[in-house]
Amino acid sequence: MKLNLILFSLLIIFALVKINAHHLYRVNHHSLEIEKRKTIELKDEQNQLLIQESSKSGNGRISEYAKSKLKMNPPEKKQKRMVK
Amino acid sequence: MRKKIKKNHEFFELSKFRRRFMLLVLLTLFFILFSRAFFLQGMQKDFLQKEGFERSNRNIKLYAYRGKIYDRNNQILAASETVRSITLEPNRVKFKNGDKKKLANLLGIKIKSLNKKLKTKKNHIYLKRKVDLEIASKILALQISGISTEKDYRRSYPDQEISAHVVGFAGNDGNGLEGVEYKKNDYLSGTQGYKTILIDRRGRVVDNLSEVRVPVDGKDVHLTIDKRLQHIAFQSLKKTINDSEAISGSAILIDSKTGEILTMVNYPSFNPNERMRKRSPFVKNRVITDAFEPGSTLKPISIAAALEKKVVSVNTKIDTGNGFYKVGRTQITDTKPHGIISVKEILQTSSNIGVTKIAEKLSKKYLWQTYSNFGIGNLTGVNFPGESKGVMRDYSLWKERDHFSASYGYSVSTTIAQLARAYTPFANKGEIKNLRLYKGDPTKIGQRVLSIKTSEAVLKIMESVTEEGGTAIQASIPGYRVAGKTGTARQFIKGVGYGKPGERKYNASFVGIAPASNPKFIMAITIEDPSKGSNYGGVVAGPIFRRVVSEALKIYSIPQDGIEIKAEIDNDKKEI
Repeated sequence: MKLNLILFSLLIIFALVKINAHHLYRVNHHSLEIEKRKTIELKDEQNQLLIQESSKSGNGRISEYAKSKLKMNPPEKKQKRMVK
Repeated sequence: MRKKIKKNHEFFELSKFRRRFMLLVLLTLFFILFSRAFFLQGMQKDFLQKEGFERSNRNIKLYAYRGKIYDRNNQILAASETVRSITLEPNRVKFKNGDKKKLANLLGIKIKSLNKKLKTKKNHIYLKRKVDLEIASKILALQISGISTEKDYRRSYPDQEISAHVVGFAGNDGNGLEGVEYKKNDYLSGTQGYKTILIDRRGRVVDNLSEVRVPVDGKDVHLTIDKRLQHIAFQSLKKTINDSEAISGSAILIDSKTGEILTMVNYPSFNPNERMRKRSPFVKNRVITDAFEPGSTLKPISIAAALEKKVVSVNTKIDTGNGFYKVGRTQITDTKPHGIISVKEILQTSSNIGVTKIAEKLSKKYLWQTYSNFGIGNLTGVNFPGESKGVMRDYSLWKERDHFSASYGYSVSTTIAQLARAYTPFANKGEIKNLRLYKGDPTKIGQRVLSIKTSEAVLKIMESVTEEGGTAIQASIPGYRVAGKTGTARQFIKGVGYGKPGERKYNASFVGIAPASNPKFIMAITIEDPSKGSNYGGVVAGPIFRRVVSEALKIYSIPQDGIEIKAEIDNDKKEI
């Protein structure tokens, strides 16, 4: 009778441990999914920034800014001097 | 006691009825339950399992990123950016006052077209795909029930129209439709993944149920293109075409030692970021796809053939007469009479008669073989969609007229890329190089088509073209020695032919090599029908060469080899 009681208690304990382990697995899995989603979002952001960087560092844009805002113009032939 | 027994008996009699009744009721109930269970488990099993899975399981696609396209300095030419697609559930949609108009404005569509979409019988439709994040958030801020957004990806081309012909573009489904996007689609696109997940009642993902196919991202493609030079070449070409009121133009700059393409531009161009309603005629990369009669730019090859065969030397004198020369029924003319001139002067002045007289000393077969060795009529090895081989009929089909006209660039047609490649033997001591657009492609060993002596001799002669008295002084670069050849070829129009004088259309072209002492760059340019000002190759295309190659020489820190340095200093002193 005593042995049966002990075995029954053990059964209950292991069942609870199993349920808890499964629950923890699901919680961790959910966290992992959130991290994966963040990774994708960061990757998207990185792509976005790379595109922005490429657009903003474009030679066309730079030369336009140089001409219009900084008043930089390539020197004319008369202004050039060849240095040996 | 007897009475009690009787009572019990009576009771027993009653209970027997009750028992049977209850048994019947229970059996009936059990039968109903059994039937229901049988119905559910046996007959509706699939439907119920499906419903159950739909409530707890989700099949999700795992997006594979399309690879990026980079230039040679790791600058992005094409990449995928996040956007949103606006979705509509027509059954659920409810508009508040003025929301419909605001939505139509944000989507850039008419109310009429929005109403048409609202009347659809489908449960879920896309109102507009690939909308900018900013606009999508404004739409969501309207809080219209039944309207939501989905994450999507769109191809973005930061270089816009400048590299459009090289990079090409991808369609709405993400597959490449033109250019490198099309050619390298399998390489760029990768493989989509998927997995089945289990969600709890709060919609949180708590388990992976089925085998996961991991998404494999597309690989990046690195081109040999230099974005900086691409910009300079495009702007120069655009300016020239606008100034000369030409129809179009194309240019290619290659590294003469490796055959790597540094720039490949066409104008007019298109913006690959904008969705085309109608396919533009200027979408194709004309550097590769359009063949034209190269005119005088083929003369250095004809002269190289003659020098190699030793039928003439650089200083051999040839009588070009008074500028008119008749071969059979064909009248060959020069722009002006040159009289007796050397082979060097024939190239410098671009004398058609001189080259014809040289070609007379060569057989059709030999001339054809030389052009073929220089890549005329063959693919360049660039591995680009829609590449044209040009046209060069077999020598056995050449008439006498073709024999001579081929020597000055008629009766054969080439692409501008073929023309640039055909000049690589002059820059590589007689070895022809294949063109390369992809950085990962192995460099192939050049094939010898000329002796070192002949290639150096022709290069030296071509230097005179950009010097005083040559046809392309506008292509000279201060401080550097430049070799090259101009071409001003009449356009052959179907049904019209070459046209009458005054009505003719021309292709102005120039192919140049710099620095001539140790060639690094070869640039070929062609301008279609320049109608304002001069239509000579040297005048129209020469300045483009000068602008682009002088920048390339600076960017790549190529030391000066110009013998005219001293002269420049003297000139400057005078100016000061």
